[in-house]
Amino acid sequence: MAIERFEDMNAAALDVFREIGSIGVGNAATALSQVLGVKVSMKLPRVTIEGYDEAIAGMGHPEDMVAAVLVEMGGDIKGIMLYMLKLDFINAILARLVGKYIEDFSQIDELSASALEETGNIIISSYVSAITKLAGLEVPLSVPSISVNMLGGILSVPMAMFGEVSDKLMMIQGEFLIGDTQLEGDLLLLPDIESLNFLLKKLGVADE
Amino acid sequence: MAGKQLVVGIGDMKLGRQEGTIITYALGSCIGIALYDPMIKLGALVHIMLPERVNSDANIYKYADTGLKETFRKLYAYGAVKSRLTAKIAGGAKMFEMKGGSSAMGNIGERNAQMVKRVLMQEGIRIVKEDTGANYARTMSIDLANGTVLVKTFGRPELRM
Repeated sequence: MAIERFEDMNAAALDVFREIGSIGVGNAATALSQVLGVKVSMKLPRVTIEGYDEAIAGMGHPEDMVAAVLVEMGGDIKGIMLYMLKLDFINAILARLVGKYIEDFSQIDELSASALEETGNIIISSYVSAITKLAGLEVPLSVPSISVNMLGGILSVPMAMFGEVSDKLMMIQGEFLIGDTQLEGDLLLLPDIESLNFLLKKLGVADE
Repeated sequence: MAGKQLVVGIGDMKLGRQEGTIITYALGSCIGIALYDPMIKLGALVHIMLPERVNSDANIYKYADTGLKETFRKLYAYGAVKSRLTAKIAGGAKMFEMKGGSSAMGNIGERNAQMVKRVLMQEGIRIVKEDTGANYARTMSIDLANGTVLVKTFGRPELRM
């Protein structure tokens, strides 16, 4: 039975996406660790399917500032990947890559933005490539784009993208921890519904 | 800010009268439409996400066309008069600049703004203030006592309109 809405997914399907997220984030953490030259670990990914306002509330206040790197996926998995960074995580990256410390988001200059965008690109590419290898998929990626702005505004992008087919947002959320500190960076995989069905079929969990 | 504050979620609408404020947070590509009848101090704030309803989605406030029409209907039912109503709109940003290639996302903010203006024009309601486009999110609120709209963004002065 094909999934028509995100909330139609059963426990087995959700497990599959948690596992996919786990493989992706694991690979991305390794890549980030190489870029930064420090230990990067990951938390067990979560799969959330929530209404718009709840999805935002789960990550903070809609007006909270974040830096977000977005990559659009095509081919076998259509949708977007978002890498969302809060201030302390941004500083951990900037300290190691450009030797800078910022006190607030207005201080992110072009050089810093470019460093964050490139880090995001590496993380997202490693994440997606781990999944495509696993399932033998073709997933071309767009050039990354960065936006430093309010959390709610950033999340309105995937919401609008899937808005005609869903009132909910499905996110496969992975979290990184840099070094021994609790610096959290969120990596979100937001596939469209057609791609969910394709993946479940491809991985042999569609018909049960 | 005195009085109570109503919060409008995404794809949602609230209306109120006389006092207090209605607010909606972090409009990205979405658009906030504040409608106000100064004579009876009746106001509404709608937060739409997409231009047009193309299916039978029950969530009518998600779309500019169905969301605004339902809001007009409610306002008239509460005594608003069309010729007195004014609209102020904010949002419709392009949060990410996608370089090169064709993007499935398109410029949804711009399409939202066009549709909102078209629906308001068809209804014959004047747009007296507008702050749309660019690449940043906006928090928008309307003061029900006088119809003043405040638009708050990051790193820019608050806009009173």
